[in-house]
Amino acid sequence: MESPAGPGARSSLTGPQPHETGLDSLQFGEDIQHLISVPPENASSFTALLELPPNQAVELLHSPDSSLRSRNVIEAHQQKPYLEPHFNAANLMFPTNSGLIERAARFSVFAGENLNNITNNSPETSSVPSNSSANLEKVVKSEPAEPESFLNPLQPLVSDPTTVENGAQNQRPVKRKEREKKGKGSTKKSKSSANEKSEDGEKLPYVHVRARRGQATDSHSLAERARREKINARMKLLQELVPGCNKISGTAMVLDEIINHVQSLQRQVEFLSMRLAAVNPAIDFNFDSILAAESGSLMDSNFHSMAMPLMWPEVQVNGNRQNYEQQWQFDALNQLVWGREDDSYNFITPENSLLSYDSSANSASLRSNHLKMEL
Amino acid sequence: MNPHHHSSYLNPNSLKSRFTKNFLRSLIKINKQTPFPCRPTEMFQRCHKVKTAADKSLACAVGSRRVWSRAMLCKIRNRALRRGPQKPPSVRRIIINNRTMKKGFNCLKEKMNDDQEAGIDQTSKLRKLVPGGEAMDLCNLLDEAAHYIKCLNTQVQEIHDAERIESLGKD
Repeated sequence: MESPAGPGARSSLTGPQPHETGLDSLQFGEDIQHLISVPPENASSFTALLELPPNQAVELLHSPDSSLRSRNVIEAHQQKPYLEPHFNAANLMFPTNSGLIERAARFSVFAGENLNNITNNSPETSSVPSNSSANLEKVVKSEPAEPESFLNPLQPLVSDPTTVENGAQNQRPVKRKEREKKGKGSTKKSKSSANEKSEDGEKLPYVHVRARRGQATDSHSLAERARREKINARMKLLQELVPGCNKISGTAMVLDEIINHVQSLQRQVEFLSMRLAAVNPAIDFNFDSILAAESGSLMDSNFHSMAMPLMWPEVQVNGNRQNYEQQWQFDALNQLVWGREDDSYNFITPENSLLSYDSSANSASLRSNHLKMEL
Repeated sequence: MNPHHHSSYLNPNSLKSRFTKNFLRSLIKINKQTPFPCRPTEMFQRCHKVKTAADKSLACAVGSRRVWSRAMLCKIRNRALRRGPQKPPSVRRIIINNRTMKKGFNCLKEKMNDDQEAGIDQTSKLRKLVPGGEAMDLCNLLDEAAHYIKCLNTQVQEIHDAERIESLGKD
């Protein structure tokens, strides 16, 4: 019996029953040669495969040719004694060979063109045939976390005819399939799916999402991951809104910044409205014309132009009032701090609150001027 | 008005102008209602009125599209009810029920997970700052916070402009 010369060389495809596999092995060897020559670009996958336990590679080394399907199955079957302790039960399962091949084809890196041939009508894209033995589960589970990068481009295409038989057990996370794919020593155009069914003890709901490498694929973690991504997207938006948040990393710090910004904005509104309330009575002109103008900027300019001529006569009248207002504006601010009804905003001290309005330089300078006048 | 297009909120023809209109109208009303206060307490009340007017006009400008604006309007109306003349109890009950309904039990579980994820202190602080934030999960809370910050920015800008223009006459 020849052993495959490919990267999955660890797995010898020769079974202990040569008389059954004689013809097959010959053809298998040819296919292996073919396979080996095909995938130069997936070198990484081969190194990954090298790490696989031999039984894995054995199970999944099959010829790409669909015509060899049955033979592949038999080959796999022949490998069984190789893995004797583990796969006793699997021997019983192997009659469902075509399913295995289908599955293997599905996950082959190089099986792009062949998969369509092998594709079945099964609607489940992520289902795995559940024909493999329980032992295979353990085998697969014991796999170390291996680079799965080569698996990512794979499309979970076909489902196996066997899956139909296995019903609920076909539901399986994508990740399992990917792990199985790793076991394909060489590029498999057709695989047997029997290995993969009983791999997991958990029967997972049907998932349409392709799990990323190293991530669990049960519905809870998927939902959580989606949620976390949403939250991260919104945090990014907030970071853009709040100045100076782009450099900070870490949710807690960013949230702190956001909280500070919101607090400062609210205090700014309070302070400005207080100043406006103090200033307001001096202006006594008609707003209607301003209100008629719809745009905000227009309004401001109208405001400005109308205010100017009307305010000039008021200046002298309000001269005395000015001093008075300024004086107890500051007092009022103090009283505001202590006597406020809104407990949602915390005024620390007038000075601190004034100094904390750092978000707009204009208002800061205005306020400092105002303070100077008052003091 | 483009209710679902975020940039439209900062469109000068929408939020800003609506807010300015409302605000100026309320300022005129305040001026007419009370003479210019001479005593600090009166001044204090007036400041509070102006601030409430600013908040209310902002919330009205946003309308019912956002949770925080609805919550803010509810808060203002409740405050007015509490302080104002005694309204029939049915009105109050309705408002109170709206608020308690928001705090469904389902929110609590999610909120606990959210808080652990993002820091308990920060999320609780954020909830207190953003009106209506108590009853939202983190995802919506961040959404509302973003919009609230945008609107606060416009509000600050507008009040600042108004105050600057008005104070021009005094210099």
